[in-house]
Amino acid sequence: MAGETKKIILKGRKVIGGIAEGEALVSKTALMGWGNVNVKGGFTVERNHPLYEVPFKGKVLVFTEPRGSGGFAGYGRTRQFGTNPAAFLYRKGNNLTVFAAMNMKVPTVTDFDQDPTAVIETGDYVRVDGDNGIVEVFKK
Amino acid sequence: MYLTDAEKGILDGKRGEIAQKCMQFLMAYGEAAGAERLVNLDGTVDLHPGQMWVPDYIITPEEIEALAARGERFKVLTFANKSTVPGFIFDGWEKCGTQPNSDPAFHRKCLEPLKPWIQMGMVPTFSCNNYLTASYWPAKGQHCAWVESSAIPWVNAILGARSNFDGCFQTAYLGKVPAYDMHLDENRVATILVECACELKTDMDYDLFGWAVGEAVGLEVPALVGIGKPTTSQLVKMNSAVATGGQVRMYHIPGITPEAPTLDAAFKGRAPKKKIVIERSDLKRVYEMMTYASNDNVEFVYLGCPHYNMVEVQKAARLLDGKKCKTPLWVMTNPLTYKAAQLMGLDVTIEKAGGTLLSGSCPGLLMGEMPPSAVMATDAAKQNYYITGIVYPKKLEVWYGTTEDCIEAAITGKWKGEWR
Repeated sequence: MAGETKKIILKGRKVIGGIAEGEALVSKTALMGWGNVNVKGGFTVERNHPLYEVPFKGKVLVFTEPRGSGGFAGYGRTRQFGTNPAAFLYRKGNNLTVFAAMNMKVPTVTDFDQDPTAVIETGDYVRVDGDNGIVEVFKK
Repeated sequence: MYLTDAEKGILDGKRGEIAQKCMQFLMAYGEAAGAERLVNLDGTVDLHPGQMWVPDYIITPEEIEALAARGERFKVLTFANKSTVPGFIFDGWEKCGTQPNSDPAFHRKCLEPLKPWIQMGMVPTFSCNNYLTASYWPAKGQHCAWVESSAIPWVNAILGARSNFDGCFQTAYLGKVPAYDMHLDENRVATILVECACELKTDMDYDLFGWAVGEAVGLEVPALVGIGKPTTSQLVKMNSAVATGGQVRMYHIPGITPEAPTLDAAFKGRAPKKKIVIERSDLKRVYEMMTYASNDNVEFVYLGCPHYNMVEVQKAARLLDGKKCKTPLWVMTNPLTYKAAQLMGLDVTIEKAGGTLLSGSCPGLLMGEMPPSAVMATDAAKQNYYITGIVYPKKLEVWYGTTEDCIEAAITGKWKGEWR
């Protein structure tokens, strides 16, 4: 990273440990699962979603909240198809995000000291330390 | 996460390998969720038979069969939600007109893996709203482990029992669940005041209102004021929509729901974080979002998301009485309502009109296996909004409207519904 790149640190709660890094893909609206996550393609197919058909494979997927069916856990099935994100960060979740993360098995952090979807923008470079719940953001 | 000595014993294998595996799942889940302990379930479990939330902790069909064979039982009363066995329709499958669903051998194959679950005590209700036919409800304050969009607000808000969205084999077998989120008093207090500034009249109004609320509040706990006296059908529709347009697990209707005798009680005397007003224009905006079609030649009509209750089946049958449908029409209910509808001859009325009464499934759960169509119509926001994703990359147009609009479309083959 270039010296002048602005770095921001977010502190949250570990859901799944591990270290990962990558480019951020940010959803400022909630993500929906079940039929509206295409696990083979690794993207949302919710018809009105800003990230419709935008692949999250290898990205640090940052989003506000889950919404809808228990099929949200389907995000975790992307792991079986190799279309999963590199890390999973969300502002607020419930057991649906937890089950998705347990299946995805990538560093996952939530309950941050700041709203991650306000601080992180798509294209920022992000390092995630899942074990300590620390997220370093390098602004693009 | 803190475990009692007895729970540690289970984790160490003192109650056998399956109990140990179940406890390993609850441990991993509880830790990831930030729970501090487990709670013993004194309410009920609602689960999707055949489903495992996290396949790493799978209890295999063979293991479940062996448990059932040696007479083991679920620790608490457990109800079957829709089976996740692909293609499974409980009643009416012979007449559904799609393959492999209408093949007797296929149906038998779907039933087989469910038998050990039933032997262990799972009530074969096979429905997303099994709580309507359950014959037994958890009482206020009891801890439960349920599933399903419309059911989670039912157990928390309507019954005042306590549940996250985590019913499964493991919770039913051990009778335990991580104690966090909806199990704890502080997370059940209202945080957002939602004022309905328009009169909610039709069942569709409650569906649209629920969606608008869900979108606006996400995971928060709203107190809903000005929503009139919703019927059972309207509550079920609203619950389905708040947990699809958003992730509302709990709400209060002051003066109606058990944890909110008054508005002040809903907020435990605290000030709302935010106040939201829902206008008629918000309902119209959701209606327009659900209208995802331009071709008025309807090819398939689906009714029954969540599964139709008896009032809704009766209404559909009366609208169809003596008519003839131009398009395939599915009316989906739950298995126990199906039996009662049969005794009343409603299945015959629907069939004479060219429709089919079914139970225990839905097009979404059937992964889009429904009568071939490029244009469908439904009266449920939830089914409407998921089905286009489920059939992806196939294109499907979906009309949304009242039950009357949908049945008229089935009879005439044309969509004539509009915002009124």
